[in-house]
Amino acid sequence: MGYLPRKSLQVLGSIFAVTTFNFFLFHIIPGDPLRLIARTQKLDAEQVAALRIEYGLDGSLFSQYLTYIGNLLHGDLGYSFALHEQVSTALMRALGHTALLLATSTVIVVLFGIFLGVFAGSRQGSKADSRTIIGALVFWSMPTFWVGMLLVFTFGVWWGVLPISGITTPNAVYETYFSYLMDIARHLVLPTLTLALVDIAFFVLITRTSLVEVMSEDFMLTARGKGLPRRTLVWRHGVRNALLPVMTASALYISGLVGGAIQVEVVYSWPGMGLLMYNSVLARDYAVLEAAFLVSSVVVILANFATDVLYRRLDPRVVVAQ
Amino acid sequence: MVSMTTGNNESLAKSTIDRRSFLRGAAVLGAVVTIPGLMTACAPPTTSGGTGTKLLKVGWKSDLDTFNPFTTVTTEAIEILSLMYDNLMHYGVDLKPEPGLAAETKAEGNTITYTLREGVTWHDGSAFTADDVVFTFDLISKNELGINAQYLTDMTGVTSPDPKTVVVEFSRPQAFDPGLVIPIVPKSIWSVMSADEISKFANDAPVGTGPFKFGSWNKGQNATIDRNDSWWGTKPDAAGVSWTLYTNDDLQAQALKSGEIDIIPQVPPTVFTGLEGADGIKTVNLDSFSFHHIGINVSADPNSKGNPLLLDKSIRQALSCALDRNQIVQIAYAGLAKPGSSLLPPSFGDFHYEPAAGDVLDNNPDKANKLLDDAGYSTKNSDGIRQSSDGKLLQFRLIAISTTTVDVRTAQLFAESASKVGIKLEVATLDSDTLGSTVYNTDGPDWDIFVWGWDSGVNDPNYLLGVPLSSQIGGNNDVFYADPDYDAMYEKQAGELDKAARVETVIAMQKKFYEDCAYIIPVYLDKLQAYREASWTGFQETPGGIIFNFTRDNFLNAKAGS
Repeated sequence: MGYLPRKSLQVLGSIFAVTTFNFFLFHIIPGDPLRLIARTQKLDAEQVAALRIEYGLDGSLFSQYLTYIGNLLHGDLGYSFALHEQVSTALMRALGHTALLLATSTVIVVLFGIFLGVFAGSRQGSKADSRTIIGALVFWSMPTFWVGMLLVFTFGVWWGVLPISGITTPNAVYETYFSYLMDIARHLVLPTLTLALVDIAFFVLITRTSLVEVMSEDFMLTARGKGLPRRTLVWRHGVRNALLPVMTASALYISGLVGGAIQVEVVYSWPGMGLLMYNSVLARDYAVLEAAFLVSSVVVILANFATDVLYRRLDPRVVVAQ
Repeated sequence: MVSMTTGNNESLAKSTIDRRSFLRGAAVLGAVVTIPGLMTACAPPTTSGGTGTKLLKVGWKSDLDTFNPFTTVTTEAIEILSLMYDNLMHYGVDLKPEPGLAAETKAEGNTITYTLREGVTWHDGSAFTADDVVFTFDLISKNELGINAQYLTDMTGVTSPDPKTVVVEFSRPQAFDPGLVIPIVPKSIWSVMSADEISKFANDAPVGTGPFKFGSWNKGQNATIDRNDSWWGTKPDAAGVSWTLYTNDDLQAQALKSGEIDIIPQVPPTVFTGLEGADGIKTVNLDSFSFHHIGINVSADPNSKGNPLLLDKSIRQALSCALDRNQIVQIAYAGLAKPGSSLLPPSFGDFHYEPAAGDVLDNNPDKANKLLDDAGYSTKNSDGIRQSSDGKLLQFRLIAISTTTVDVRTAQLFAESASKVGIKLEVATLDSDTLGSTVYNTDGPDWDIFVWGWDSGVNDPNYLLGVPLSSQIGGNNDVFYADPDYDAMYEKQAGELDKAARVETVIAMQKKFYEDCAYIIPVYLDKLQAYREASWTGFQETPGGIIFNFTRDNFLNAKAGS
């Protein structure tokens, strides 16, 4: 069997396993989901029985599992009692918001991370090198919500130049589509900056370590011996070879963020996946939690799959080794 | 061999191009996404102002659930709906009834007659008629729809003898006028749906007759309403009202300071002290319609697994005497609450009960000891815990919600006080859902004592007084209290149209409930709010809060500052 079909089968297997695990995880938790409805309205035994059937909570655990899988294949993730809407609707909305935050911050974190990593790695042992690393590590070790609060205080309250919550200004009137985009951009600045400050060390360190390693290889000595200019040496021969681990790290980073940058979303009231899950935990909204866990797991699996495939394109040695 | 090498070369060449274009593409994408982020200096967008006035911006702690008035349960939705839909009657800023869609109301015997205001139109331009009122009352009553159905349980019929009159008939007199809480909906929109369809209807674009029209709702972010310039009453100064959701209390306080919002209806005590004295911010500390209580399992059901010793009233009274309510206020609530007595907080005015000096069961360990000694629990074991004559220890389980810090502190302080009179309380914390399902387990409640709270959904004693009714076992009654005298007094006051006579019965009920000690009420909560003084004036400080209260008038009376 070829590489892609084999790999795809593995991915499907993983997704199935995760789905099954996810289902049983949520159904062995003590407590009756119907309590959540019964708490807000008085129900008699008859109504409870009817609701059990309506929400697929009757029958054995295994038959519930079959119903669940069946519904899932039809794209039906259930109904949220807490949100008064289909789980899939709530999830798609949150995913969209998270994707926006994720795309912006990932690009910034990865690009600046690589740049700083190269800056430090190509000057290994120098003062600039240690200062960059220390700087990145200082932010890395700060709690995310605390950095968030500092930025809120500085930009939102003290200078009052940036909005500190949500995605758009309530009741805003936009003259043009561009002003609408600008409003979103303004709301994006602080959450993105928070993520960037805290997470950039991840990429600085990986790029730097990888580059330092590549720089010590024989072919680099040859290149230097050839008298290549320093910039060509570092960027064309060094960085290109050092970027492979960064690829893996990026995939991990992105798949991690899909689960939601929970702390950042909570600080800035950014209505993404993290906030959705946070609120669902508070509301004991199992239907949403179950679906959110599933989506996060599937994204991790798919991101890893994509990395594997991309890796083969970027580094032919992988194919040769197989 | 040859072909294989060629293949490899090809793929090498190809992947080199791919790598280069990948990096270039990434750089372009980075620039595209970064540039707007860097252009932070551009001005914030203007917000809609109508005739040159301002948006009143409110901060929210949790989102509304739905705009459907027949399925909503959240205070957030009820407040925003009260500004889009008119009731027949409304509470004024003094919390006294004032005319709404009904210009006049007359309650006589079993009948309430509403004389309707004329010339009222719905937001969609169609005319409001008596048929809409008849339809709304009928719909709720017949289908037991939503939280207002409880006020129409005695309704026997609703008619409209002429286009400006609605007559509602009940099986007995009604001390509480349901017209004060029921939002009137347009028949034209709602009559086309079955009851089942209504219970699933999102009502995403509400059409009412109220002072504000629906603007927008970004679920999980914010909601806005715009002034209805053809409203029948005095038009509000605010061009609209917006609610913005903050998931973090500290951030919400910062947003108030920065002017992103104008008022916070629910300020937690820890944040409140930080806002006191802040520049341009006014903090208010008002009476509320809420209390926290210590509930004792008094279920007489043979299946109850509660400790049977708690069925002895003298032990419950001793527990109440052991508790120091003032200490709870000072330590657990940082002074931002008031010591409690019985079911109705002082915000209910005349209906509130204060025990006479000789009846007080609070902070009196001597009395607690005497009660226990007299009841035959004088022997103690080696740990100093009292025992019954047949050797059963006065040792009880005490549960509280782990995330409700004030309740956990209350439980701890209560356990300390109880130990001083020889009663051992074992404190355990649970999450709210588990506590709820433990307490409300009607099959056989397996618990002894809990700490929880109630908030009156209505400015009338009926709701809170109704909690310990025997008919509410399986409903609101969380301690399984069942007393025929109490039930009888409830029925009597609920049908009493004479206020003084009703007050008398209501006080007697609370006195009885206080002495029975199925509830020990340590505190009445304070309503803590804060707003920007320079942005809005004309707010009247009302028990229950400036906003987020039974009256909507502070929204209507607010005047934009300079």
